[in-house]
Amino acid sequence: MRTYLLAIALLMVLAVSLATSLEPWFQNWAGSRTKSDNLLQVALGDSRRLFARHFFTRADVYFHNGYYPTIYDSKAGFEEAHVGESVHRHGDAEEEVEDFLGKPRDWIDRFGRNFYPARHTHLGDSGCGHSCCQRAKEYNGHDENCEHKDHEEGHDHKEEASGQPGLEREILPWFRLSAELDPQRVETYVIASYWLRTKLNQVNEAETFLREGLRANPGDYELLFELGRIFHENRKDVVRARNVLELALRNWREREGAKPEPNVFLGIQILNHLALLEREQQNYPRAIEHYTLLKQLSPNKELVQAWIDYLKTNGPPIAAPQLQPR
Amino acid sequence: MNPTTTPIESAGLPEVHQPEQSTSAANNVLSIAGVVIKEMYRRKDFYVLFVLTALITLVMGSVTFFNQDNIVRYLKEICLFFIWGAALVITITAAARQIPAEREQRTLFPLLAKPVTRSQFVLGKFFGCWFASGLSLLLFYVFFGVVAGAKEHAWPVLNYFQAMVLHWFMLGIVCALTVLGSIVFAAPSSTNTITLIASVGILLVGRHLNKVALRLEEPGQTLLYAIYFAIPHLELFDVRDLIVHNWGLIRWEIWAGALAYAAVYSAIFLALACLLFRHKAVN
Repeated sequence: MRTYLLAIALLMVLAVSLATSLEPWFQNWAGSRTKSDNLLQVALGDSRRLFARHFFTRADVYFHNGYYPTIYDSKAGFEEAHVGESVHRHGDAEEEVEDFLGKPRDWIDRFGRNFYPARHTHLGDSGCGHSCCQRAKEYNGHDENCEHKDHEEGHDHKEEASGQPGLEREILPWFRLSAELDPQRVETYVIASYWLRTKLNQVNEAETFLREGLRANPGDYELLFELGRIFHENRKDVVRARNVLELALRNWREREGAKPEPNVFLGIQILNHLALLEREQQNYPRAIEHYTLLKQLSPNKELVQAWIDYLKTNGPPIAAPQLQPR
Repeated sequence: MNPTTTPIESAGLPEVHQPEQSTSAANNVLSIAGVVIKEMYRRKDFYVLFVLTALITLVMGSVTFFNQDNIVRYLKEICLFFIWGAALVITITAAARQIPAEREQRTLFPLLAKPVTRSQFVLGKFFGCWFASGLSLLLFYVFFGVVAGAKEHAWPVLNYFQAMVLHWFMLGIVCALTVLGSIVFAAPSSTNTITLIASVGILLVGRHLNKVALRLEEPGQTLLYAIYFAIPHLELFDVRDLIVHNWGLIRWEIWAGALAYAAVYSAIFLALACLLFRHKAVN
């Protein structure tokens, strides 16, 4: 009996000794999840990034009203999330590329298409996704010969026209969930903010979400650019917009300058927006400075030079530099 | 030799063909079905799953995203996911235990000793489980409709009706398959597991088997395509995406065609179950 008790006591002493030596090591270990106060991070570890990506894709699925390729379908036309494009193309050629279902392979396939979304549409697309309806949504009216002309069921034109928050709100929960799971995914904040401030008229929420993103990704130039656009386009606060956009430019130079393949597209956007802001404020020398920098990056150097010449001489430009909107 | 428990003798029981026999057979089937329904609402399975579904849906519904209180599609998706899961579990577990329980408790013998044929017994069990799953579905869908309507301020009753009836007929196939499994397999647990895996497998990949088959070499391609045509396509009845994303009504003739498709598969599985049960020793 005494031997057993002594053995138990020895084991307990060993356990306590091990714990005192292991605990400080564990607290300082780089892989320890206890440092995070985020429950999801503790529970899921790095796999949360996979879930975050999945939920981001769910937003795109909702944007397409459930019409989305599975792992068994061709992903042609769906490599990039359409939810990240402000103006999605609506030509017949694009619709053909994005028809991942193709022609029915057999009678079960043909019959089955009646029981799941089998037509390419977008939220707020007036319900049918037809290019004509897209134009109608943009207040240009339906084409006279459009087969969808009299098709009002499921249309959202009235809601769009009223300025009330549209159906795009349905994608928001997935952005929130994606950001909770992977706060370092900048794309989530930028795209959610875009929909919030443009289609849903929720500028305050967009700004709050971007600031949340900036707390998780300090100094990120993409988030700063989006924040600058809010100050400029929505708040009309030129001073703050200029400060934020200049900070975005500075951070872009610091982070992308040394890279062999920098994100030129975003640099162009920041510079173009800064030049636009200075032009609006009639601060032409500063605008010319931005255009000069823009000329080095832009593939349309002649058009940028035309703007520089215009601002220098006050003559009409050949054409405004048309940059791809986000 | 006991004719009730010995298969050959039992199968050889004279089947009386009288005009009132069809009424009597229907009464027998309905009586057995009635007992199954009573048993279902005495059990706690449904209540537990219903409360769980309701609780999770209401908690998720109370969450507000970006100060938008009328976001509803994610909630509909979650609620329908739980309804589908709960309905499958209720139906399969109920159908799998019916015949083995009667055998274990030895209540099968007095039942078959009465003028109830083995086929009527199997049909009674099937209809009991199917009607009971229909009743539980009705409650689930009423709850779903109320929650979705309260958030969305729209009441597409016909869409919900189409979805619910399709779901119910899909459960009919699953129920018939489970009854067949409960005769083939030794224990309810194995019937539960195998039927659940088969049903979920068909729901997940049934629609895509043809695409996978086309990428295979022969004879794999022909074999997989044959499986694709042979299996009951349960995923046809899964119209959750149409409901979640507010698509229009399914054309009624297409909808009726799907119901007929389900009826044919249910009849095939039930006929097989009756045939096997007629030749099975019950002692």
